[in-house]
Amino acid sequence: MEFIVEKIGMSRTVSVPSTAVTLLKVKEAKVVELKDNGKALVAYSNGKKFNKAIEGMQKKYNLSKEFNRFVELTVANAEAGDLDVSAIEAGKVAKVTFKSKGRGFSGVIKRHGFAGGPKSHGSRFHRAPGSIGNCEWPGRVQPGQKMPGHYGNETKTVKNEILDFNPDTGIIVVKGSVPGANGALGRVRIDK
Amino acid sequence: MRNRYIEAFEASQIADKQLPEFRAGDTVRVAVEIAEGDKKRIQNFEGVCISIRGEGTGKTFTVRKIGANNIGVERIFPLYSESIKGIEVVRRGKVRRAKLYYLRGRKGKAARIKELRK
Repeated sequence: MEFIVEKIGMSRTVSVPSTAVTLLKVKEAKVVELKDNGKALVAYSNGKKFNKAIEGMQKKYNLSKEFNRFVELTVANAEAGDLDVSAIEAGKVAKVTFKSKGRGFSGVIKRHGFAGGPKSHGSRFHRAPGSIGNCEWPGRVQPGQKMPGHYGNETKTVKNEILDFNPDTGIIVVKGSVPGANGALGRVRIDK
Repeated sequence: MRNRYIEAFEASQIADKQLPEFRAGDTVRVAVEIAEGDKKRIQNFEGVCISIRGEGTGKTFTVRKIGANNIGVERIFPLYSESIKGIEVVRRGKVRRAKLYYLRGRKGKAARIKELRK
């Protein structure tokens, strides 16, 4: 089962040992059309985006103004209506997919975890990538060589244990961290 | 201001905690539960609270005492942790700061704190 969630932020528990937790809020969503193999068209709201295509969809499915986004998700619903969130309560592990924070053009230390050189004592080698290959043979750089470049802003999926779910507020408490910024929207997939 | 959902999540965890009110400068005795294998015992740590920081479940306080051989020992406790079995305020101190880090540079008589009398 899949759900659209908003990342609220992180906190911790007071238990011993204490665990870091992330709070995710399940977006209010409506199943508008069931498709085959368990998938369905789901409407939810995000921002103020509005155009004639959205207007047409809202008219077609009798939706109120705020539902301006449509997405195909695997759902537990047997008929159209409010999204069935009972799977979260029964679930143990969540696969959480978010867009990671964009870090722009990054060097190899941030991007690939290279160690870098000494900062002082005249080493003249600080954050540079170092050698990227051999000599006249093979005369080229091996494919997959780790180099500086664009880092972040890509879809990342992590597995988190579900600790708690409150159906009234729609808050899922998962163990550990989740990619992306607070307030960002992502997906939670619960298989078991 | 913190997010209301985070606040609600943390408030639900610390709602039934009974803790005495204390501030920097107070001498406190902290009962800490220590697990050794499958046995548990309670150890007291007594000293001057020199700082309280953070909010919600992440709130911590620092206790400084002078240990054996005149070595200063500081421990940072999470205020709402389940391993804290009790906090007793032994003495109220009269101080004018929220953080008493200046005590680290003082020794003996100079590191005393006056008792607060009302």
